[in-house]
Amino acid sequence: MNILKLVARNLLRRKGRFMFTLLGITIGMAAFVALLAIGGNMRNEVTAQTYALGGGFVIVPDDLCVYNQIGIITGEAISERLAYGEYEAIAAIDGITVIPHLTRRMMIYNPTAGENQAVPVTGQLPAETQAFYGWEMSEGRYFESQDEEAVIIGQSIKNRFKVEVGDKLPIKSGIELEVIGVLKVTDGNDDAMVHMPISVAQRVFDREDSLSYMTARVDDMRKFDDYQEQMLNAANNIKIATNEQMLGSVLMILGSVEFTLQMVAGVALVAAAFGIINTMMTAVYERRREIGIMQALGSKSRTIFATFVLESGLYGLFGGALGVCVGYVSSLVIAPMVAEHSETMLKGMELGAKVDVQLVVTTIAFSLIISVLSGLYPAWKASKLTPVEAISNG
Amino acid sequence: MADTNAIIRTEALQKVYSNGKSAVRTHALRGVDLSIPRGGFSCIVGPSGHGKSTLLQLIGGLDRPTSGNVYIDDINIATLNRNKIAEVRASKIGFVFQFFNLLPNLTALENLQTAMMLGGVKAKEQRSKAMELLELVGLSDKASFLPNQLSGGQQQRVSIARALSNDPEILLMDEPTGNLDSESEKDVLEHIFAIHKRGKTVVIVTHNDTLAARAEHLFVIKDGVLAKNP
Repeated sequence: MNILKLVARNLLRRKGRFMFTLLGITIGMAAFVALLAIGGNMRNEVTAQTYALGGGFVIVPDDLCVYNQIGIITGEAISERLAYGEYEAIAAIDGITVIPHLTRRMMIYNPTAGENQAVPVTGQLPAETQAFYGWEMSEGRYFESQDEEAVIIGQSIKNRFKVEVGDKLPIKSGIELEVIGVLKVTDGNDDAMVHMPISVAQRVFDREDSLSYMTARVDDMRKFDDYQEQMLNAANNIKIATNEQMLGSVLMILGSVEFTLQMVAGVALVAAAFGIINTMMTAVYERRREIGIMQALGSKSRTIFATFVLESGLYGLFGGALGVCVGYVSSLVIAPMVAEHSETMLKGMELGAKVDVQLVVTTIAFSLIISVLSGLYPAWKASKLTPVEAISNG
Repeated sequence: MADTNAIIRTEALQKVYSNGKSAVRTHALRGVDLSIPRGGFSCIVGPSGHGKSTLLQLIGGLDRPTSGNVYIDDINIATLNRNKIAEVRASKIGFVFQFFNLLPNLTALENLQTAMMLGGVKAKEQRSKAMELLELVGLSDKASFLPNQLSGGQQQRVSIARALSNDPEILLMDEPTGNLDSESEKDVLEHIFAIHKRGKTVVIVTHNDTLAARAEHLFVIKDGVLAKNP
């Protein structure tokens, strides 16, 4: 016999209570893990998409606020207040490569889902854009001219809409364009977009001479300040934001969302902790006589204390381990739903939970600490019983 | 003057119970001086509610006296802290209770092993020693039985075996046959006598006349004082 065996026997004597208490801490930890895993992956996904923009910075209308800038990363529609002439003025500056975009979110019928779904449709200069991003095709072909009336699609659009090369895509009422190719996976939001020549987009959107934003890079980033000055001089109503600045803004918002989600998980954990306290207090009350017997047999106060703390700690260990498993499985199930049902920034993102060893270890350790802390008061109460009090009243 | 052969001594032992916030105070023991000889077979008798069990609890360190001293092998346990008293209990004293007090979720064997664990016996030595003791009380075939699968007499025999787990010099028994039928009582008494013959100091609180008649030293407690000191 040893303390651990004794504790295990005590834990399992009331199997129902053991299971329900364990379930409490498991659910708490699972919520914690699922929300953290999804949050972490959102962060990684947004970072990847930002860098997949390819350029060092973006050029947007000067009245576009930070929140609107995020739309560039997430493929949302943003205002179309830049003039094509401003693109031409900036493109004329030596040492700057710039790509214009006219992006709008269109409702396209998805036969698989049986409903219209919002999809970012973007117009670009085909040759310049392909050169800028280094796009390759996985199926079909790329645009052959700057104004070909056709579309190419990203891989996730193909998967979502079950579209094949040669199919017609209903972009807008009365306008169907042929899908001539599918891009190789870019890991950016281009995967979740429908692409067409900018001249076609301007006609389809009925926005002649308009742009949403531009992505750009300079030959020598050390001279960025000089280039910035030249760009601001060349075009009137523009604002320049580096990818890092945009990423910082998105991550700040994500951080707030994550914090809120963690608070929700925290409430679940606090409830679970009180569940443990309740279970342990009940156990102390029920086992008063046994505590007295143990003392009569020579058990010291610290042994009684350790027995109950260990018992409580095992709830945390098992609950934490189970919570990690349930949390990851849940995040695998929930993440695609979040991505699918989001109308904005997460649409089309691959949010599958990746197992993060540090998160696993931290979660189990955290669960253990919470449960041990929860067990301290009941264990202290148990250790303070006198043998005669315990045996007489047990 | 202290009896040099005494293994247990009490001096002016008093125990007063207070009932919560009320001013009612119950004097369970009113100054008991007794000496229990080493290796003796002693019985403490007296009417119910006159302090016998309280005296046994104080001798065993299960409770603290209001005043006075309790010496176990010349160690005054009335002055020791809880953990030191626990050490004395684990090494020198074995308890047998009227209601057996076995740990209900452990088998007979595990009950003995738990007592040994608390007495510091190594895990790998526990099993063989526990089986020897169960053999001694004729229950080696019931080692894997839970207490509720044993009769009252069998439970008390397991309890006696458990009291011997750490080879204590003293066995304190509170009405060990008080909850048994006559057949089981006879059986349990035989085991108690046999254990005394192995050199143990046995102190029994009892109402059982047969048992009291066999005592080498008989102490009578009445109204919280020692009415008869052999």
